[in-house]
Amino acid sequence: MVRFHFSRKQLCIPYAVFLALFVIIPMLLILLYAFTGEDADGNLYFSFANFLEFFSSTSKLQTLGVSLTIAFITTFFCLIIAYPVAYILARSGWKRTNVLLMLFIVPMWLNFVLRITALRELLNIIGFLGNYDYVNTVIGMVYDFLPFMILPLYNSLQKMDNSLLEAANDLGAGPVHTFLHVTLPLSMPGILSGITMVFMPSMTNYVVSETLGNSNITILGKMIEEYFSTYDDMHMGSLISIILLVIIFITMLVSGGFKQNADESSARGANLW
Amino acid sequence: MRKTQRLFAIAGAACVALSSALLFTACADGEEKQVLRIYNWEDYICNENDEEAGYVDLVAAFEEAYGCEVEYSTFGTNENMYNELKINEGSYDLVCPSDYMIMKMINEDMCEPFTEDFKTNSSYAENVSPYIREIFEENGWDDYAVGYMWGTMGFMYNPAASDTIAEDVQSWKVLENEAYYKKATLKDSVRDTYFYALACVYNDELAALADEYESGDMTAEEYNDELNVIMNRTDEDTVEAARQYLRDVKKNIYGFEVDSGKNDMVTGKIDINFCWSGDAAYGIYEASEEDGSSLAYSVPDYVSNIWFDGWVIPKGGNVELAEAFLDFISTPEHAMMNMDYIGYTSVLAGDEIYTDWVLDSYEVAEEGARLQELIDSGDVREYDLGYFFSDDPDTDEYTFYAYAEDKSGMLGAQYPEYGVVTRCAVMQFFEEDANNRINMMWEDVKGAEIPIPAVIFIAVIVVALGGAYLVAKYGYDWFRGKPKKGYTKVDDDK
Repeated sequence: MVRFHFSRKQLCIPYAVFLALFVIIPMLLILLYAFTGEDADGNLYFSFANFLEFFSSTSKLQTLGVSLTIAFITTFFCLIIAYPVAYILARSGWKRTNVLLMLFIVPMWLNFVLRITALRELLNIIGFLGNYDYVNTVIGMVYDFLPFMILPLYNSLQKMDNSLLEAANDLGAGPVHTFLHVTLPLSMPGILSGITMVFMPSMTNYVVSETLGNSNITILGKMIEEYFSTYDDMHMGSLISIILLVIIFITMLVSGGFKQNADESSARGANLW
Repeated sequence: MRKTQRLFAIAGAACVALSSALLFTACADGEEKQVLRIYNWEDYICNENDEEAGYVDLVAAFEEAYGCEVEYSTFGTNENMYNELKINEGSYDLVCPSDYMIMKMINEDMCEPFTEDFKTNSSYAENVSPYIREIFEENGWDDYAVGYMWGTMGFMYNPAASDTIAEDVQSWKVLENEAYYKKATLKDSVRDTYFYALACVYNDELAALADEYESGDMTAEEYNDELNVIMNRTDEDTVEAARQYLRDVKKNIYGFEVDSGKNDMVTGKIDINFCWSGDAAYGIYEASEEDGSSLAYSVPDYVSNIWFDGWVIPKGGNVELAEAFLDFISTPEHAMMNMDYIGYTSVLAGDEIYTDWVLDSYEVAEEGARLQELIDSGDVREYDLGYFFSDDPDTDEYTFYAYAEDKSGMLGAQYPEYGVVTRCAVMQFFEEDANNRINMMWEDVKGAEIPIPAVIFIAVIVVALGGAYLVAKYGYDWFRGKPKKGYTKVDDDK
């Protein structure tokens, strides 16, 4: 009779296999394709041609710029809208805050393509559709990603120690002072986490720019799709993906996502990812 | 030691599970059912049972009739289909690409030829329109491809949008017209929109050619050949002109779409939609069902695109079963079901389709004196489809009376007249160089400029945040606000 005992290491095997199959191997493939070309017989050869072409093409750089612009503005508005909401949800003495929080989270359970399709009709009624492609795209992105900003902010604000506020109050700080010097710094991990959660996906979420911007705006996600499915050039498509990965790493670096600071961010549960 | 035992135990269990799974599939194989693997466009075959509408699930019906199994999968673009065939060679028996992709696949020797028997002795051979057969023969596709659906490209429009719209959409250049600012769409598909651009860029040349043809200096065939040459230009100057034209016209249109356009027409968001005739038929029908409003379709002057989707058997496919399937769906009865279900026009002709489909839907019911009255008033006119249904070009057996404004061009969308198809060009596939050039042109057209207000906005945010940071850091005393009553300021940093 064999008895199964799984050690921790063995329990990790399925996850390791999953990661290898769906994360690591695809990443390596992207890397391989990004820096290779294909000769007439279909053989791969190493080349920087795609890289050079990307950075010498006006239309590609323009698309990169448009994506960054949209992502930046989306993130800004998400933050502006989400912070007061999260603050009220987390700090107010009101007993029904859970219900309020639910109201913000419920839309996340619906497929976002459906939500965007519905939003398109709404924008049409108020006369935005067709006239303000950029505005519509940003509205759609903010609508889509707002919960991703609210949640980490809510988490970090809620876990804030009340006695710190009391202490600040005791020591004579006014509400503005308390907010700027106690609340804001303590919610910083939540802010940074929210920014990373919103900034990156809004660079590639091309369903929004297609549906609400009537395909007048091309962002990087759409461009990658075009290279894979229309232009039949997986090498350039992979290269653009690599550029996106680099931007992700840069935002994580800037926002301190790599910091292994146990007592700061992760202990507060602010980092959703 | 125990560790390795455990590992062996796990591996052993996995082996048992795997081999029993294999055993199972082997058993199932033992019964030996032939499998036909079909790869088709989404929503491109009648595969629903609906007694009321008279539909039969053709795929299931075929499975039953031939005792085989059909693995049916779908694709969204020709390029996706092509890639899939390249990656998984030999994994499909029957695919349905568009005209230019068929040419590309034949050129690259990716297709099995059809058997002589099928080409002479099948319901397809029996029913295919002579007009379509001739095009396939002329282009040398007939050994490798069998037609499925066909149509033209033109404008679907809303006649109520303006008094002049019916005349306006006779010109491809209508999208420049400021009267339709943000009211028209182009296709978000490089080939179709490139074709559109050529029709505009060479508008004058095409107009002159049409004059020459009308004055009787050239035959319909010569005229069509000339058109085909013009509409397949891919040289650098042409592509550059197309780029400029599309960038200009982009400022005046509502946007690009491939799928949402017909619904946007129905819901009234737009007034003009550059579209495939089959989509127009669908849109016109939907609009009249929904709120009784009428949309219309017309093919503009001088030139249009005639397109086909057809079946090919990829190398290594099961030719026998594929041909059996094509024979099965090419009966007039099944072709009409398909047309009804998909909304596109089948390449099949034959008297049954003419009577039960064309005449049934479009022939004027009035007779005798009343009919004469209608003809005299110009409401009803002759409609000649002899070119499509008959080998004899001069026959009037396939001429009938239809309302001149019949169903807003629905008839014209489904069965264009001979005058329209003579000015239709077939779009060839682009050589690699030209293809890259046109793709880059497209990328440039689709790319949007960074909006200046957005840049200013970002600059303001950055300056404000920077300022706030500096104030917080250095102008801190000034900013911290008054201490509460009874407290005094202390230099807290010290």
